[in-house]
Amino acid sequence: MDQKRKILVVDDEPDVIEYLTSLLEDNGYEVRTALNGKVAMELVKDDKPDLICLDISMPEETGVRMLRNLHDDDRTKDIPVIIVSGVDPKFKDFISHRKQVNPPSAYFEKPIDKHEFLNAIRTILSGIGIAQ
Amino acid sequence: MPVKLEELNVWVATKLFNEMPLNIAVIDRDYGICVSNEKFVQRFGKCIDRKCYEVLKQRSEPCVNCEAMKTFSDGMARKYEECINEAEYYMVNIIPVVDPGGNTIRIISMLEDITDIHNRQMECEIFFERVPNYISVIDRDFTIVRANDNLRDTFGECNNRKCYEVYKKKHRACENCPAALSFIDGQEHTAEHVGMSADGSITYYVVKTSPLIKGYDNCRYVVEILTDITEFKMLEKEKLEAERLAAVGQTVAGLAHTIKNILMGVEGGMYMLSSGIEQDQKDRMAKGWDMLQRNIVKVSSLVKDFLSFAKGRKPVLQIIDPNCLVDEIIELYESTAKRIGITLTRNPSDGVEPAPLDAAGIHTCLTNLISNAIDACQMSSKENPSVRIGLKQENDTLYFEVSDDGCGMDYDVKQKLFTTFFTTKGGKGTGLGLLTTNKIVHEHGGKILYTSESGKGSVFTIAFPLHVLYELYNESRDTGGTFNEADEQKNGSHC
Repeated sequence: MDQKRKILVVDDEPDVIEYLTSLLEDNGYEVRTALNGKVAMELVKDDKPDLICLDISMPEETGVRMLRNLHDDDRTKDIPVIIVSGVDPKFKDFISHRKQVNPPSAYFEKPIDKHEFLNAIRTILSGIGIAQ
Repeated sequence: MPVKLEELNVWVATKLFNEMPLNIAVIDRDYGICVSNEKFVQRFGKCIDRKCYEVLKQRSEPCVNCEAMKTFSDGMARKYEECINEAEYYMVNIIPVVDPGGNTIRIISMLEDITDIHNRQMECEIFFERVPNYISVIDRDFTIVRANDNLRDTFGECNNRKCYEVYKKKHRACENCPAALSFIDGQEHTAEHVGMSADGSITYYVVKTSPLIKGYDNCRYVVEILTDITEFKMLEKEKLEAERLAAVGQTVAGLAHTIKNILMGVEGGMYMLSSGIEQDQKDRMAKGWDMLQRNIVKVSSLVKDFLSFAKGRKPVLQIIDPNCLVDEIIELYESTAKRIGITLTRNPSDGVEPAPLDAAGIHTCLTNLISNAIDACQMSSKENPSVRIGLKQENDTLYFEVSDDGCGMDYDVKQKLFTTFFTTKGGKGTGLGLLTTNKIVHEHGGKILYTSESGKGSVFTIAFPLHVLYELYNESRDTGGTFNEADEQKNGSHC
């Protein structure tokens, strides 16, 4: 049997965590969750995920900070990140052109279209191997 | 020893001619100078038997239309201003010397040097006409007796018209007229007014009035100097409008962000519910149902808080005992706090007197602060956390204080504290509570102060200067205020 792909969901909203976890698990992924960027970075270092679904506005540590932390560490800089956020769509252009962070692999504005979301994950993960 | 009349006559006959502060010359019909005093010689040089136009104007022929010579024709004395050498100004007095037959045989020309006075007049004239202000001189009936061109260009013809007609196109004097005050007390006064220019456009100006005789209450004229501040006012309005639009934009963006998050929760609830039905999993169905309910509650609180924040309501001030407001809040939150293991106490508040407050507004402020304090305690890992409400009156200021030993705030949170839709409570908060509190406190002329340490707790203090509260209270009574029956009933319970 194929090894399940690991996805880390980071969002300060418990309902979003619950939703994305159920959605992704129902579609055959293994899901880890974190309510803020700080906890998420610890999880990433502990058990490297194949993909990260990241919110931007979070009280403890924002998604932008987490993107920088991922970018600054050689072990984590290649992990694809999908932004799932309620912030202004203009943010997509902004974050895609920063030198300090890798451009996100995809950008989804809340509320998401779950089919498009799952398609994007499948496409991104089909291009890379399983995380070690 | 008294001076004898004969001696005086001798002095007048021999000395006065040379002692007078005037340049005097006696001139005949042929322009020849027959006699002159010492001052005339000192100023114009040797002049006897020379022609007056040679001496005074360095001309070789008589001046065209010579004023002085007219006295030979009509025998009349005359006075006029004469410019000599293009830089010196003299007041010339011509007196005829008449023979017994009534014929003018000589004229006496007396020249008074008025160069300094003339130059000062010129300076005043330049100032009067060239300064970028509107200047007028008005009499006690507010009639303009003199005005500069600038004033006429903007407000239209104004001589002998009332100043309020010219500046405001009104038919009666202004209520807060600074000129009237200057006539009364002889002092300078300033006021800001709105007028109407000749083309019908609104003109904002600051007017400074100064009596022509300072310090006297019976002066006849007052000078009004108006500075046009229309452009500043327009810029100020544009800036306010830009700020308002920016605030609206920011608010709408924040609102959209919050709604998107709630919609995501609703979508999640629907997914959990439908997938639970498909998979026949009651647990999942229950989770989905809970998520839907939670997010409906969130929408309700968002709408409620947003309306409370956006409501443009003037504070309805009544004399209330602040202790009663605090008691009500304690009563409201006591059981909730107890149920979740938080001690809610009240600090002693001696010497606090009734003050003009908007009971509904203060109730909202305290509710928001207590609710935040309770949430901060819940987010802390401490055992038996507590929230305290205090009240004190010191140095003309009334203080409401809410302190907690909850999770406290770090630098980032403090920076965003009064930002629209900023919340540390995830989806639970709307990010409008402190903003609404701040708005209400500002409407009372007060301010919010806070100290906080991450992990230790926070203290929020609302400070209301009592004199400001009383000013607002008197204003609202003078203008009829916004007080109405509904508000009276609403506020009726506060002691």
